[in-house]
Amino acid sequence: MKPAPFQYVAAESVEHAIALLTEHGPNAKLIAGGQSLVPMMNFRLARPDWLIDINRISNLAGIRVEGNTLRIGSMTRYADLEASDTVRRHAPLLGLILPHIAHAAIRNRGTVGGSVCHADPAAEMPVAMLALDAVFEVRGPVGTRRIAANDFFLGQMTTAIEADEILTAIDLPVARAEDAAGFSEFARRRGDFALASAAVVLRLAGDQLTDHVRIAVGGLSERPMRARGAEALLAGWNAEPALIERAAREAANEVDAGSDLHATESYRRHLVQTQVKLALTAALERTRLAGAKR
Amino acid sequence: MSVKTTVSDTGPWVGQPLPRREDARLTAGAGVFTDDIRMPGMLHAAFLRSPHAHARIARINADKARALPGVHAVITGMEVEQQTKPISTIIPFKTFLPNYCLAVDKARYAGEPVAAVAAVDRATAEDAAELIEVEYEPLPAVVDPWQAIENPPAHVFDELKTNVVWHDTFSYGEVDAAFANAAHVVSDRFTVQRYISTALETMGVIGRWESSGLTLWSADQRPGFATHALTTALQIPHSQIRLISPDIGGGFGNKRKATYMAIIALLARMADRPVKYLEDRQENLLGLVHASNQVMDLSMALDAEGKILGLKLRDVVDEGSNVINPTLHSMLKFTNMLNNYAIPAVSFEGYAVLTNKCHSGANRGIGKPFMCFVIERAIEMAAKKIGMDSIELRRKNFIPASAMPYEAPMGNVYDSGDFAATLDTALRTAGYDDLLQQQAEARRQGRYFGIGLATAVEPNSLNLSAYTLMTGRTDTSGVGEGALVRMEGDGSVRVSLGNTASGQGYETVVAQIVADELGIHPDQVTVAPGFDSAVNPWLHCSGSFANKFSGTDVGAIIEAARTIRAKALRIAAHLTGHKEDELTIRESAIWAHGANEPLLPLGKVAMTAYRDLLRLPEGEMPGLEARHFYVDPQSNLPARDPDDKRLRFQLTFSNSAHIAVTEVDPNTGAVKILRYIVAHDCGREINPMLVEGMVHGATTHGIGGALYEDLAYDENGQLLAASFMDYLKPTALDVPEFEVVALETPSPFTPLGAKGVGEGGSIPSLAAITNSVEDALKPLGITLTELPLTPNRIWEAMQKARARQGTC
Amino acid sequence: MSGPKQHDVQFTVNGKTETVSVAPRTSLADALRESLGLTGTHIGCEHGVCGACTVLIEGKPMRSCLMFAVQAEGAAITTIEGIGEANAPHPLQRAFNECHGLHCGFCTPGMIVTLSAFLRENLKPTAADVREAISGNLCMCTGYQNIVKSALRAAELIEESKP
Repeated sequence: MKPAPFQYVAAESVEHAIALLTEHGPNAKLIAGGQSLVPMMNFRLARPDWLIDINRISNLAGIRVEGNTLRIGSMTRYADLEASDTVRRHAPLLGLILPHIAHAAIRNRGTVGGSVCHADPAAEMPVAMLALDAVFEVRGPVGTRRIAANDFFLGQMTTAIEADEILTAIDLPVARAEDAAGFSEFARRRGDFALASAAVVLRLAGDQLTDHVRIAVGGLSERPMRARGAEALLAGWNAEPALIERAAREAANEVDAGSDLHATESYRRHLVQTQVKLALTAALERTRLAGAKR
Repeated sequence: MSVKTTVSDTGPWVGQPLPRREDARLTAGAGVFTDDIRMPGMLHAAFLRSPHAHARIARINADKARALPGVHAVITGMEVEQQTKPISTIIPFKTFLPNYCLAVDKARYAGEPVAAVAAVDRATAEDAAELIEVEYEPLPAVVDPWQAIENPPAHVFDELKTNVVWHDTFSYGEVDAAFANAAHVVSDRFTVQRYISTALETMGVIGRWESSGLTLWSADQRPGFATHALTTALQIPHSQIRLISPDIGGGFGNKRKATYMAIIALLARMADRPVKYLEDRQENLLGLVHASNQVMDLSMALDAEGKILGLKLRDVVDEGSNVINPTLHSMLKFTNMLNNYAIPAVSFEGYAVLTNKCHSGANRGIGKPFMCFVIERAIEMAAKKIGMDSIELRRKNFIPASAMPYEAPMGNVYDSGDFAATLDTALRTAGYDDLLQQQAEARRQGRYFGIGLATAVEPNSLNLSAYTLMTGRTDTSGVGEGALVRMEGDGSVRVSLGNTASGQGYETVVAQIVADELGIHPDQVTVAPGFDSAVNPWLHCSGSFANKFSGTDVGAIIEAARTIRAKALRIAAHLTGHKEDELTIRESAIWAHGANEPLLPLGKVAMTAYRDLLRLPEGEMPGLEARHFYVDPQSNLPARDPDDKRLRFQLTFSNSAHIAVTEVDPNTGAVKILRYIVAHDCGREINPMLVEGMVHGATTHGIGGALYEDLAYDENGQLLAASFMDYLKPTALDVPEFEVVALETPSPFTPLGAKGVGEGGSIPSLAAITNSVEDALKPLGITLTELPLTPNRIWEAMQKARARQGTC
Repeated sequence: MSGPKQHDVQFTVNGKTETVSVAPRTSLADALRESLGLTGTHIGCEHGVCGACTVLIEGKPMRSCLMFAVQAEGAAITTIEGIGEANAPHPLQRAFNECHGLHCGFCTPGMIVTLSAFLRENLKPTAADVREAISGNLCMCTGYQNIVKSALRAAELIEESKP
């Protein structure tokens, strides 16, 4: 399975990458880690005529905290996120999802920005981005814009990025002490795409949930979604098991789950329910333990 | 009573867990697989494959492809029809079926090769293939095997006027009386999906025309079959075809493809350059071979005490577009209907049906895993119906060790085995009573914890006379193998076989056998890796299939070794003035019995045979090599009476008992294997380390088939799992640590008492896992008759059961 | 404006500097195998799942079928040919032989390359750790058990070889 022919250039800077995208038109594609793009090219499902390599751009990777924002460069490799204490401390949800993403060899090369821009509906990273209220910094010929995660994932493999733009950084609000993260996914084997996944971030005030409740669901037909109905059920209430159940059920009903080789629609909805419940429960357990320590 | 015999008198090496020779080059990455071979001027091939499951090919225009720079040759069905004859089939059809190496008038499955390109590299060849314009007229796709029989939307081969390519009944014993007298009858329908072993190395072939004819390099497991098919297809003498098999990265029955060889031969001739073709993984899943899917209706008749009186099976095998060797799965099912049990009456009505899917063929186990699945599931159902423990039911019906050799109604003779001892060993190893306690505790906690077992015979070797009974073909019978053993002038030995290794460790195992026979060290024995038809001794039945190595191949090796041993002793007697029967060979030297010092080194004997020709005994031919073609003496011909359909189909029988401990997650339906115990008996183990490895690997294939792997097609005949992202293979996290215990009941029918082990683990594992999962779900009263046991399927069954029970 | 049909790419493989001239679409796996004759790296799927093509880049396991050779400019690559030597095999190579960690050998280079990096970071792994480490490498022959055994044995050998 060899790709269709293409031409290759390595961009030396973000500006250079943008210029190349503009020059070569809509059938030019950026290549980051390539762990999602290259298989598609090998199957000839993706056939860019220009490949613009952004791996040589020196300032696109990196993890740093600026005030209340955790800024992750788009070219940061998954493996570096996994190894980062900063990420563990300030965006613990990422630490929870990373072991589920493919395998170590893929994570050594794959990038957080690549996953986000590829927007496979079953991928884990976009789901976490939704739950974390990520803001994506995107640069193009006319300048920089910031796109909220909620506005970013438009459909299968489709995002709000234009053909001549490049994702440069991902900004996450730094986790607060009263935040609890949880993640659960069901996949056939470790590392496979999720049949259903749930990433949650809960902000508590004592025993009560504030209205900062984020439940993001993945493994759906088009794109990851926030289960807003479920969130609304929980916001402001005490996190009782019965309420968790109701919220999980609501999430399962409100998302757009589809059928494929691995799961029928009804089974998938059921999985959404179980994963949301598990993620919520895990998040609350974490808080309880943290509270007990305090 | 467990029987483990000690290594007997032939010598110190058979029975040792010797580390393998072949490891040195393979762990260094220095193996030579088909894709590693390059030669000057070599071109690369790509195929254009039909996107339609069933379509008439109205027109093909390859002009643009031919014009692409870097392209050296393009062939389509048109050239193939002009330049070749159809690929010969193993089953003779009354109607002539024009089955060529490329689709000619019709494409009959999605993925069937329609055109082929040879170009400077694979990428260019793929570019060219895309430029070939094909006008298809899609036809309705035949997908469901029942519909294919009863109300087909189309005929896969119009000439046949039916999709039923074979339908026959084999009946042995008084079946009707058995069912009439039965106190209990258990019946159900069992459905098993298509799956396949997927060797990690995909299939490949290199073809080069030379002045001496056509030379092929290919990872082919059955050299005789492939090259024979080519002689008719290419209309060249067999003596002008040379097949070389390098290292093979896994075979499992899948690696044989005369059609690809024919295509490559044509491209190479047209381009006047060597041409290489390597399937990619998508092509491998779409079009190399599938194990058939099937629907099996089984009825089991038992008396009031639980003795099985008879079996009736109606079996529909979905052959896909297979007209090369249909009935392979069917035959291997009915010949193994007894499994381990003394059942006096069995009848098998089988259909082999064509559909618009990839052709079915040989895979690890071929048919036997499915047969064992059905029998062992029926045992569980019968036990439940009668109210008897299924272990007791098995014990009651096992062919006892004292009855061996035991003639089964269809003619197979079980050589040896103590099935009760194997099962007891498995139960003991598993700590069965403790497991039952664990289960009781788990059930109290509301967990779904299951213990399932299955016992199986593992038949070895295949008497090819079987085809006479299946298809009326009368030019194939028996089974054998060739071996060449040559001692060089320094006493070292070189062996070459008609069989090719694809991971079995023959280079080591054969060295152990020959070392024992010749009284030398295995390090002195070099077993030629790979196969070369110009050099290795081979028959048309040569190759790796049906676990034939331990009985059949070993026979050839031992006879060849014994021939040169006898000759060495004759020469030594002549040189030393002793009588032959006063001498023995040990530690690479000739000894008189009882002496403290050797008389002369073995090398001196060999040197005489090669150099000191006039000092050989009178009438003794020079050289110290022997080529032996061996017919397995256990194989026989069918009776002259056409109504007598008995035969020794398989020649020896290993056996095993598997116990699977599983837990089902009620939230997702996912099955986790907690423990997996195997007790197995393959007779005398030539290399116990390699044997145990085979058990691990084969059982893993069964786990894949039971839980993960599904070559599912949609209603349009499109394969839904054409990559490793959707076709799920077990990883290291998906299989448990196997607890394996070996028993050794030697076979009285093989030279070393050894029996086969390559397929064994794949045979009872489908049943063991299903029995375990069903047991786990016992509180819900679910019966499992359909594979694979995907989480989706399990969960839906649990939901239905809960609804029935009124629980939630 | 069109780009060059062939690119010259320079990288080190097993410590040796190599230059290959490749089309942009040539994968690193194909460049290693075809241009440099290092056929120990195997191709099993070309979509990153099977792990047969795993090499080390700057010491980290990566799928060579998912990188284009042109992207490897300046990289330090280790293939199976760079692990151990004929007269001084790597502890993994010794252990795979002792513990029967291979049948057909096709997955073996990818397994050994992956495990070589793993054992550098994990000196006393458990069987579960090893299974996790090789969960991205498919084997169709062994059922994995003896590969796990081999890895644990290799860890022992590495420990024993320390002064």
